[in-house]
Amino acid sequence: MQAKRPLSRAIIHLILIAGSLVFLFPLFWMISTSLKPVEETMLSPPRWIPSVWRFDNYARAVSYGRDVLGYIPFYEYGKNTILLCVLVVTGTVLSNALIAYGFARLQWPGRNLLFGVTLATMMIPFPVLMVPMFVLFRHLGWVGTFRPLWIPAWFGSAFNIFLLRQFFLTIPRELSDAAVVDGCSELQVFRHIIIPLSRPALAVVALFSFLYTWNDFLGPLIYLSDQRMFTLSLGLQFYQSQHGGTEWHLLMAAATIVVLPIIVLFFFTQRTFIQGIALTGIKG
Amino acid sequence: MKRLERRQARAGLGFVSPWLLGLGLFMLYPVAASLYYSFCEYSVLDRAHPVGLANYADLLRDELFWKSLGNTLFYAGLSVPLGLGLALGLALLLNSGVRGLTIYRTIFFLPALVPMVALAVLWLWIFNGEYGVLNVFLARLHIPAPGWLTDPAWSKPALVLLSMWGTGQAMVIFLASLQDVPVHLYEAADLDGASWWHKIRHVTLPMISPVLLFNGIMGIIGSLQFFAVPYIMTPNGQPARSAYFYAMYLYDNAFLYLKMGYASAMAWILFVLILALTLLSLRLAGRYVHYEAG
Amino acid sequence: MYRPLRYIGLALVGFLMYVGFTRSPAAPTRDGRVHISYWEKWTGFEGEAMRAVVDEFNRSQDRIHVDMLIISEVDRKLLLATAGGVPPDVVGLWSTNLASFADRQVLLPLDDRLRRFGISRKDYIPAYWDLCEYKGHMYGLPTTPASLALHWNKALFREAGLDPERPPRTLEELDTYAERLTKKDDSGRIVQMGFMPSEPGWWNWSWGYYFGGALWNGRDTITADSPENVRAYEWVRSYSRKYGVGSLQLFQSGFGNFSSPQNAFLSGKVAMELQGVWMGNFIDKYAPGMEWGAAPFPYPAENPELAQVAYVEEDVISIPVGARHPDEAFEFIRFVNSQRGMELLCMGQRKHTPLARVSRRFLETHPNPYLQVFIDVAKRSRPFSAPKTPIWSEYANEMNATFDEIWLGRSSAKEALAKVGQRMQSRLDRSLASQARRERGR
Repeated sequence: MQAKRPLSRAIIHLILIAGSLVFLFPLFWMISTSLKPVEETMLSPPRWIPSVWRFDNYARAVSYGRDVLGYIPFYEYGKNTILLCVLVVTGTVLSNALIAYGFARLQWPGRNLLFGVTLATMMIPFPVLMVPMFVLFRHLGWVGTFRPLWIPAWFGSAFNIFLLRQFFLTIPRELSDAAVVDGCSELQVFRHIIIPLSRPALAVVALFSFLYTWNDFLGPLIYLSDQRMFTLSLGLQFYQSQHGGTEWHLLMAAATIVVLPIIVLFFFTQRTFIQGIALTGIKG
Repeated sequence: MKRLERRQARAGLGFVSPWLLGLGLFMLYPVAASLYYSFCEYSVLDRAHPVGLANYADLLRDELFWKSLGNTLFYAGLSVPLGLGLALGLALLLNSGVRGLTIYRTIFFLPALVPMVALAVLWLWIFNGEYGVLNVFLARLHIPAPGWLTDPAWSKPALVLLSMWGTGQAMVIFLASLQDVPVHLYEAADLDGASWWHKIRHVTLPMISPVLLFNGIMGIIGSLQFFAVPYIMTPNGQPARSAYFYAMYLYDNAFLYLKMGYASAMAWILFVLILALTLLSLRLAGRYVHYEAG
Repeated sequence: MYRPLRYIGLALVGFLMYVGFTRSPAAPTRDGRVHISYWEKWTGFEGEAMRAVVDEFNRSQDRIHVDMLIISEVDRKLLLATAGGVPPDVVGLWSTNLASFADRQVLLPLDDRLRRFGISRKDYIPAYWDLCEYKGHMYGLPTTPASLALHWNKALFREAGLDPERPPRTLEELDTYAERLTKKDDSGRIVQMGFMPSEPGWWNWSWGYYFGGALWNGRDTITADSPENVRAYEWVRSYSRKYGVGSLQLFQSGFGNFSSPQNAFLSGKVAMELQGVWMGNFIDKYAPGMEWGAAPFPYPAENPELAQVAYVEEDVISIPVGARHPDEAFEFIRFVNSQRGMELLCMGQRKHTPLARVSRRFLETHPNPYLQVFIDVAKRSRPFSAPKTPIWSEYANEMNATFDEIWLGRSSAKEALAKVGQRMQSRLDRSLASQARRERGR
């Protein structure tokens, strides 16, 4: 639906610009506070732009806690978060692609029933799974380690299976049939035909699971006890003081650093992201 | 033929095998186990002790259960329609062919990328009654400003506002689906002299109704499990439990009071609630949702 | 085509999987010593003080090495870790956690070990020993003690025409002083409060005790809505009613963080505040040069016997069930509780010690000028602390919510307390029933 008249276009632009300002404002505030000297962080009325730009807040935010803890939490948390992200993304893409292939391109008894069950599981709220999984991991001795946070990702997840299956269905049969006639095994068809054609969808799965793991809070909260093993999202809490003496400027600097990679990643992969969502989100 | 079928069947099961394990271990077993726990008293440090329906009976009499449920329904009831409305509105605006689509789209999507903790802390800051930016702004406009997170009447609306800020994800999905609406339908409407509101009501909305349904259901499921943000911003649901949500009470029961049986009962009630709401949505959808007829 | 790249990628992922699988909290034995993990809550100078003790212990012998970790929300984390089967060897908790943790068998009883090493109640100020006891067993030992006193800002007293050396002695005097110390600006906004029952808000459940009430009868009945408690919370409400809920909320939201110069008391926004022995440090650090005093908290004029009421709490150190090295853990705990260890720790945290014996040097070199006030308060004849019941965490949360209800004027003291009383009574009944069942099963 195109807006024809220049007046309506102008109004639309106005609304969009106003909306953008509102949406961007908190981020602007976050960055602004991160650059302020500590005295200016709690002024009333607040200062919009810092009088001095304290870039060293970032250095201090990163090394915060070194004296108290004996190591730099930020580096540790960053390493841990990246480790988990890589493991989860790899496992998610791999396992869900294989599983979705099984649902989309192969016929076998009970397939549709199992897919239906899979869809149904999307409605199970996490709290239902939370306690028994904790008990399960306890029996396995996995509490306190990283294992509960990445190993399950290698066994598939309903949402991603659904996403990829829908996508695989759109790949023309003739391509895979031709390959089978040529003597390829299913695995070869999967590897050489389906995967190369599925890059956008796989990218979406990868991006979403990266985002999810990077920001995951509840999982690390429940399973990680050694502070040295914390992730960034959990570690940000550490900047919030115990008695109530939060160093806002450092916290905002840390938060900015945590958000930055995601924003950069999104910026560069935008088109793929959007493409992927478009391809799959529609067939509700 | 038979051999080919069997080969496919074996391959199929092979491909799906990780999921069979995943489904069994991480979905079906926990679901069954939590149902069992809901009929027990279980502190994890001790063995589970069956107590029949006691947990459920206690829940029904538990004032805090009802309060947290009420808070959660209030939150969902506001944030889902408002969030979707905003997302759809923005998507419609962006779909009107304005320039700078990519930029706007990024800007609106950005908040959805921020980690929960950073978000919570940032907004804690913004909502501060005395020197928070929001109130300063409102004061400039001479609008009386509430204490937001210190005022029991305004803590939930504050959180709803916050959730609307993250509506970018839904917006992107709407935008993609809007771009899929066949142009000829609009052209036909134009020929009939339809106004833009008319076009939205009779062409756009029906055409994107499956996506609306999808986003709506996802939104409901998500908002009923609202946890991380209030856990950080309004611990214990302060002030006066006004921001105490269902998932928070569940978490406290499970990991703070070590009443895992009680928490499991709460989890199952939530599950049933979600199922009921989803089925209700699908039933309503039957009347209003159009699938592409070609 | 990109063959080598693929192999590198596979190797990398394989390596990461190895790391992700094997990474776990620090392993116990290295360099010949037994390493024990110690989770503690303190940061800043309080953490430093404990670190000094840990270092001293590690230096004083070569069999055990204590690895101290600073853990936020250490009580929650301990529950999770113990439930998950991976608790630390030693943990620093709050005395308010002890009852529920002991009841749930999260902590090891220490009676045998205490007996073996001849540590007993007579070595301590009795109130502090008793805090570690639950159902006849000891589940920890004190680390740093706390008692409370009314702190007042002498300069503000002088401004208001009050004698800066004479704090209020009865609650009625407190109310009068508070009135004189409250200032508003031209637009009617509060700029200074004499006293606010909601500050600091850490013991909002305890007001009833100062009026002779209690939150339970020590056994099986919740007494939240006893007449004394109702009277106490009506007194609390009188403040928010008198000065206006809205104005107070606005005033309160402008308070800065506790450990900063913008602290309500330190910045002179609140003239009198009930606080603990640690307050002296925060004053020295963030408001040096402030003229202040500390005196026992006032009592109701018509009940002078209530002048003996005193709130005590402390930080405790315990051994979780499932700890891998309980004997080594206890050796460390013993060191902390020796006079040398304890005075080092408490001096570092600028608090008094829980021990019966104190060295003269400690008393003389201690930076807090009002130290004796806190020691005397701790030795009073009617000490009270958080109820020792497993439902305490819930009860505490509920009481905080109830305080809010009353303070904000959303319900009357009588109603709100009756409601919380009912809720907690059913919780208590259920808890007692499961306790009985567990005892029968053992």
